[in-house]
Amino acid sequence: MKTKNILYTLALAVIMASCTGHPSVPTDAQRESRLPKIFPDYTEVTIPSNICPMNFAVQEGATDVVARLTYPNGEITYGDGQKVIIDEEEWTGILKASKGKSITVEIYAKIDGKWKVFNPFNINVAEEAIDPYISYRVIQPSYVAYEKLSINQRNLTNFDEKEIYNNMSVSTESTGQCINCHSYQNYKTDNMLFHMRQGYGGTMIVSNGELKKVDLKTEETISAGVYPAWHPTKNYIAFSTNSTGQSFHTKDLAKIEVQDTESDLILYDVDKNEVSIISELDDELEVFPTWSPDGKKLFFCSAHFEFYNDSISKETEMIKRYKEVKYSLYSADFDPETKRFSNMQMIFDAADSLGQSVTLPRVSPDGRYLLFAKAEFGCFHVWHHDADIYLMDLNTGKTEDLKAVNSDRSESYPTWSSNGRWIMVASRRDDGNYTRPYIAYFDKNGKAHKAFEVPQKDPYFYTFFLRSFNRPEFMVEPVTISPQEFARKAKEEAVKAKYVKN
Amino acid sequence: MKVKLEHIYIIVFIAIAYLLLPAMNSDYLFAIQENSVFIKGRTFMSDIVSDTHGGWIAWVSCYLTQFFYYPWLGSSIIIAIWSVTYLLLLRTFNLKGKWSFIAIIPTLFLFVRLLDYGYWIYYTKNIGYAFSGTLLLFAIAFVSCLLTEILRRRLKDKWHKNYSYALFAVCFILGTWTSKGWNLRDHQSELSVTIRDKNFKHELRMYRAIDEFRYEDALKEMQFEDGEPTNLMVLLKNIALMHTGRITDMFKTNNCGVMPNTGDSIKIHISQLAAPLVYYQFGQMNYAYRWAMGNAVTYGQSFRNLKMMIRSAIFSGDFDVAKKYIAMLKTSTFYSDWAKEHEEWVYNSTKFVQSIDNQHIGQLVNDDVNMLDNDNGLCEKYIIDHFSDLLYPTTPLLEDLIMCMSLWGKDEYAFAIHFYNYMQRHPNEPIPELYQEGAILLCNSERSPIELYDFPFDQIVSDKFNRFVQDYNTLSQQNVSDAEMAKRLKTLYGGTYWWYYYFYNEFNIY
Repeated sequence: MKTKNILYTLALAVIMASCTGHPSVPTDAQRESRLPKIFPDYTEVTIPSNICPMNFAVQEGATDVVARLTYPNGEITYGDGQKVIIDEEEWTGILKASKGKSITVEIYAKIDGKWKVFNPFNINVAEEAIDPYISYRVIQPSYVAYEKLSINQRNLTNFDEKEIYNNMSVSTESTGQCINCHSYQNYKTDNMLFHMRQGYGGTMIVSNGELKKVDLKTEETISAGVYPAWHPTKNYIAFSTNSTGQSFHTKDLAKIEVQDTESDLILYDVDKNEVSIISELDDELEVFPTWSPDGKKLFFCSAHFEFYNDSISKETEMIKRYKEVKYSLYSADFDPETKRFSNMQMIFDAADSLGQSVTLPRVSPDGRYLLFAKAEFGCFHVWHHDADIYLMDLNTGKTEDLKAVNSDRSESYPTWSSNGRWIMVASRRDDGNYTRPYIAYFDKNGKAHKAFEVPQKDPYFYTFFLRSFNRPEFMVEPVTISPQEFARKAKEEAVKAKYVKN
Repeated sequence: MKVKLEHIYIIVFIAIAYLLLPAMNSDYLFAIQENSVFIKGRTFMSDIVSDTHGGWIAWVSCYLTQFFYYPWLGSSIIIAIWSVTYLLLLRTFNLKGKWSFIAIIPTLFLFVRLLDYGYWIYYTKNIGYAFSGTLLLFAIAFVSCLLTEILRRRLKDKWHKNYSYALFAVCFILGTWTSKGWNLRDHQSELSVTIRDKNFKHELRMYRAIDEFRYEDALKEMQFEDGEPTNLMVLLKNIALMHTGRITDMFKTNNCGVMPNTGDSIKIHISQLAAPLVYYQFGQMNYAYRWAMGNAVTYGQSFRNLKMMIRSAIFSGDFDVAKKYIAMLKTSTFYSDWAKEHEEWVYNSTKFVQSIDNQHIGQLVNDDVNMLDNDNGLCEKYIIDHFSDLLYPTTPLLEDLIMCMSLWGKDEYAFAIHFYNYMQRHPNEPIPELYQEGAILLCNSERSPIELYDFPFDQIVSDKFNRFVQDYNTLSQQNVSDAEMAKRLKTLYGGTYWWYYYFYNEFNIY
């Protein structure tokens, strides 16, 4: 009997604990005529109709908070200390009812024993959904050193996150490997890749669902493939090849400069395992290739840089003249059948005309717009506080500062969702050092809306998480190859790519 | 009352443990906790639990390691766990009398293991290593004892004492399986370093003194040094001299560092031992942050790294990231007040820079222009070269520092220029003795780019140099070896720059 009682009590406790509380709205609250400070900042943002709950914390020094969410035909409250944690099932209903409309959020906060109510704000729900998955590299924002790295995929419709691959699964310590630059063809995962450097180095390529490991370094090229771009229709991948170095600012908050002393573009034919040169012009540092959606144009960035001091190494000269390295935007026509490039031309002269440096171009799925990151100099804008995202209308050639997306800290690595309605960027606005994925609505009129941080179950996750989210990419489906399969393949010898002349 | 042998064993063990842990190695235990971390909250917990083999034990171990902040407290906790484990093992195996020593062996092993790390406390990647083995053994002993007691009562006459061995074996296998992948060989033995290496202890104390801005205490610790100090001790000593306005006494105190005595056990770098603190004290905030981050990435986050990242971020004006780390540190048991104090500095960074602790550092930061650079992992060399190369000092402290650093690095070219410029700025002032020693030496050096004969050196310094040269030549003519010559001349000239210049030739940077 006694045991039964204990079991019943335990079961009741579990049921009680699993229930989400809906606190009552305080009746004696005093009005505070301003918006509440919340983290992440979800005030007046536009969100997809299929996103996970937008949990947040109220940063007003309150002991208790109540959030009243008013949506078409409904109202509901949440509150858990300083946090507002929304039940996932209830949120799905709220989103369904609010599609194309707004959710109004009113915050009550108990500060110094007294309730205050802040001006309400809206969370607008767009008609359009977002790609259900994103992937990113999880890495400490460190310098030369690295330890555990992983490429993870996150389901945006809930909080599930899984590892695609983890560098510790095959080697550690002196044979440890660095992993980077995951890339997908047309947001799908049956054609994808990522690189491994040092221990068990090589490029992991999934081609039509089949996994292989290749070594893209040839005697004729600077390095193995670095920054990749899958051709949208063919089994080709454009890569940059780079000779990259790092140096450190003694005082500037940018802290690090990553520079290429050499940089070219190559094309890799996945089926034939062949590498050919796209561009290797003298005194040009070509990098960051990206395709137009029809696959008939390749966009890339290039900096004109002439070394003239023979008495010091290229690396040293580059370090001394680091502010002179400025990239402009180029395009080249491409014939997918013959694999020939032609009509290479500058389409945005950032370096000479503006004294600026543009990097990381990405074309919208409808081919109309191009996003890029722009800062004063250099190619590694994730460390440049002045780096912002710009939009170029490819019809008119006009560029626009995407103020709604940008902050006074670094924004880089812009990318489009498959329907072109969502932009994701890697932003350091939270604290200047850790990169976080931010998403912004891009409406049919070509207007970007206020960016919001990808929601987490615990609103303080980003505060306490000491790793960055690099290269955030949209995916329409998850990677199905397991980390163990990748690890097994990683341990195999890489197949050497052949160099062919164009 | 008859005292049983099993009680004598544990009493002796406890006495030895207290003697060797908090009484003799409190600085070591403090350093262990400072190189560990515990952050309250789900993110840290899931990070440890999901990423570490035997994650829950590692997490609890990180929590308990905090208590070495007060070495007596942390030691009492770990000794208590060892003692209970011993009693559980006695009970499980029903050991009595002389056989009870068997039960003390596992705890003895854990006790020795705790002392066995030496310099590995900076290098082990084994999260929660201080308590994890102890907790695992305790859990195994507890569960096997509990099962033994239950089965013994249930089975009564059918119980056989061998069952307890079988139960323990099963629990042991399950326990070690959960911790499968724990790197039990995460270090090589450095017991002799922990117990006997005086420099290791000096370094620990000097680091803590400098970290707490107790510069005089760091200098006092250096006075206890009775052999050859390590490079790190010399570096910390010079930091203390710099911040107490006595940097020109650099060579009056022992400035001849050696590599730490670790045999082949480990390759030591100052970058891992103290680079964030050293760079911070020299006003190189980006490099302080960089090494705190780099060491955290490679060897795991620690209270020490978080503190250095907070300080350097506030100095650099990188306030939001400082707030992030402060939010984390505020959740700790013993650094919460430190974090709250620094939270106030975030909102008043000018006061922070001008505070008594930081005012000298502020003088080094404000006048440093930004440049792209790399220390290639050699913190000491970078500091010496960086300041030797500075041509335009804007504060008196920087002016002294660049002179002293060029002397330390034996950069005759840089010193000659700095000295010449110094004399232009201070035409009618007395010249510090150290600078005279350097300049007089350079009068006779072909490597000096500038003629330094015409400056008004004190006669007493010139005469002393002449005597030094005379004594040196005399010993040379007698074919006295360099080592012997260094020894004989040290009595008269050991505190001069000349002695350092001629006889300290094995500047092993690490």
